[in-house]
Amino acid sequence: MCHHNLADACDGKRTKEEDMTNSNSRSRTVRRARGHVASTLFVLLALASLVCASALTACAGSSSDSSSSASKSASGSSSKKTLVVAMELAYPPFETKTDSGEPDGVSVQFIKDFGEAYGYDVVIQNTAWDGLIPSLVTGQADCVISSMTITDERAQTVDFSEPYAVAQLAILANANSNISSIDDLNQPGKTVAVKTGSTGDTYATNNLTNATIVRLADESACVTEVSQGKADGFLYDQLTIYREQKSNSGTTKAVYIAFQDPEKWGIAVQKGNTELLGQLNEFIETSKTDGEYDKLTDKYLSEEKAAFDELGFKWFFDLS
Amino acid sequence: MTTAKRHSNPFVGDGAGHTSPLKAAINYLLVCLLVIALFWVSLAMLGYTFDFSFVSQYRMRIAQGFLLTIEISAASLVASLALGTLVAAGRGSRILPLRYLCDLYVKLIRGTPLIMQIYLFFYIIGTAWGITDRVVAGILILSTFEAAYIAEIIRGSLLSIDETQRDAARAVGLTHAQTVRLVILPQMVARTLPALTGQFASIIKDSSLLSIIAVIEITQTMREISASNFKLFECYFLLGVLYLALTLPVAAIGRHFERRFDYAH
Amino acid sequence: MRIELADLCKKFDGTSVLKGLDFDDDVTTLAIIGPSGGGKSTLLRILGGLTAPTSGTVRVDGETVSYDEATLPAYRAKLGFVFQQGGLFQHLSAVENIAMPLREVHGVEASAAEQTARELLDRFGLAEDAEKRPAQLSGGQQQRVAIARAVAGRPRLLLLDEPTSALDPAYTNDVLDMIDDLREDGMRFVIVTHEMGFARNACEKCAFLSQGRLLEYGESSKLFAHPSTPELRAFLDKLLEWR
Repeated sequence: MCHHNLADACDGKRTKEEDMTNSNSRSRTVRRARGHVASTLFVLLALASLVCASALTACAGSSSDSSSSASKSASGSSSKKTLVVAMELAYPPFETKTDSGEPDGVSVQFIKDFGEAYGYDVVIQNTAWDGLIPSLVTGQADCVISSMTITDERAQTVDFSEPYAVAQLAILANANSNISSIDDLNQPGKTVAVKTGSTGDTYATNNLTNATIVRLADESACVTEVSQGKADGFLYDQLTIYREQKSNSGTTKAVYIAFQDPEKWGIAVQKGNTELLGQLNEFIETSKTDGEYDKLTDKYLSEEKAAFDELGFKWFFDLS
Repeated sequence: MTTAKRHSNPFVGDGAGHTSPLKAAINYLLVCLLVIALFWVSLAMLGYTFDFSFVSQYRMRIAQGFLLTIEISAASLVASLALGTLVAAGRGSRILPLRYLCDLYVKLIRGTPLIMQIYLFFYIIGTAWGITDRVVAGILILSTFEAAYIAEIIRGSLLSIDETQRDAARAVGLTHAQTVRLVILPQMVARTLPALTGQFASIIKDSSLLSIIAVIEITQTMREISASNFKLFECYFLLGVLYLALTLPVAAIGRHFERRFDYAH
Repeated sequence: MRIELADLCKKFDGTSVLKGLDFDDDVTTLAIIGPSGGGKSTLLRILGGLTAPTSGTVRVDGETVSYDEATLPAYRAKLGFVFQQGGLFQHLSAVENIAMPLREVHGVEASAAEQTARELLDRFGLAEDAEKRPAQLSGGQQQRVAIARAVAGRPRLLLLDEPTSALDPAYTNDVLDMIDDLREDGMRFVIVTHEMGFARNACEKCAFLSQGRLLEYGESSKLFAHPSTPELRAFLDKLLEWR
């Protein structure tokens, strides 16, 4: 008996399974396959061409058109203008948060006082360190006050105010290491931890060429690496080194011997924002004499001032 | 009775799966160009132009970082496959402490974020047990993380095999060992391979988090470069392109496996 | 083939599914009928060595079946079992489904196994479907391949567990025709089925199972014409309701 005819001839009763035995299914799959490969190639080509095109056409640099959107918020026409200030709230006692999460610290107070004096409503934007300068460039923030050192490199992208504070790099070393000066770190086999993008990073990259440099995003990770001995030293500002050494007194020691010129901190604004820059410089100048700096020191830094005096360091606001 | 008239509109397909590859490619390219145009216009509105000139300056570092990402991903794939298979087997074990250990492992690892695992494992367990090489530690941590997910994939595929398949194997006279070798394993491979390819793409992307312990793969390289030249957007955009260069082929391989093993339809 | 069951009992989680079956007869073609949940499939699985009884004995051709995994594979290899659905190996083609057990269980050499498989498929009109996987076959084709696989190893008994119950009615006859074909070749089988026409006309004897007990047994023609127990009568009446 021949059965296959019966099995396949069921007019009008084709089940889902019967459809799948359609001989077209294989060629359909192949066509779909070719379509997918082609589309993947096109996406990659398109992206690649975008990257190439941008690289070829970029000649004028990125700051040429930024002045048009410069004073977006700093010169609004409403009664009280908004001043958007970006900072990384991870650097006590300059930029930090209260227990309830509100911005607080020396820089916060300073810029708020500035806002009061010049009629601005100050809005603080907590931004990761990497994103501070980019936020100025895109106009998301009007100024950045985040204990940022004035450097020539940074000054190419943004404009800095006159220095409002002065700081010095120091070394946090592992207690068991023999580090007593910066030269001890600049040896093959030594590991130096730095916070990515900080002046410690720049100094180490440019000067500690014999050592291995480990760049981490968090200050606390850097301190951990030193106290665990994974890194021989951590380059950061004196004040933080002082505080961290105190909290990790068993495993770390501090080396304060200055190995570079003092760093000057400035407030950064978008390139070409001369109006805001003028106001900030004015305020910084008056703060030196009208008690603003003293007020800040008393409120936030009294303990540190005492320690600095004892150790003989130049005070932050001593801009002489 | 079927499509007597072909659609003349270049943007309309003929229904599921019948689009010509040329049409598909052109439309796909069009969509990509639209997305790119969106970004371009947004950038123009911000008054920002991309400047990729740093690429040639840093090409050595970028190449090294890219290579390290590939190495870490490949090594983690192998290690996590091995560990994941062991854990999947362990979860079915009759030795209770072993079974519960595997179960706890999967729950903890899958239930916590990788960033936390990297910090804790590197600075606590790594230091205590003397694993100082960051790349080695990074591979171990990443493998431990991904293995938990792979164990679940394997377990899921094992459970998805119909009980009747085992019944049929016994009915034709296969021993248990033969059943596993000839019926269970082939079907499991078919079910897990597509999912495993997806997991490999995840491994590639997750490796970017190892940057937080300064493993100098491609993400950390870009962070370091952008920290010194402030071109955050260009750096991260290029980073995206580089990751796509890795994940798109992996996705294509995954689709190939899906088709090859798609005998359940 | 002589099958003896002595006080066969089976419990699942405390529920009694087979309540002391006794049976002793030669089996050529036997249909097991009865209402759902009566224990028919369980009985067939016990006969096939797939499920172990809770108590009681099973003897086939004078030998007691010992239900331990060391000896069962050999016992099962001499039988053919057809499941209601999903019994084919999903990852193998039709010809591989038949050839693989021949190679691995019966020790047939690879090319001979493949040849046997193709001949079987050919004989039952499935030659075109030899390379297809089960998912690409219709239900009826799958069951016929399953039967081919079950008989490929020349089993001494073929066991079929409701082979047509999951099928589109259009395919049912193809499958039953194939079983009938095999019967004419001398294949012995035990079939659990709801196809009463087949049970009555193609099977020599019939057993009626209800609620775990063997209530009636005898020649099919007599059983259907003159059911003696009220349960069987009620069962048959219900069946004829929708004819």
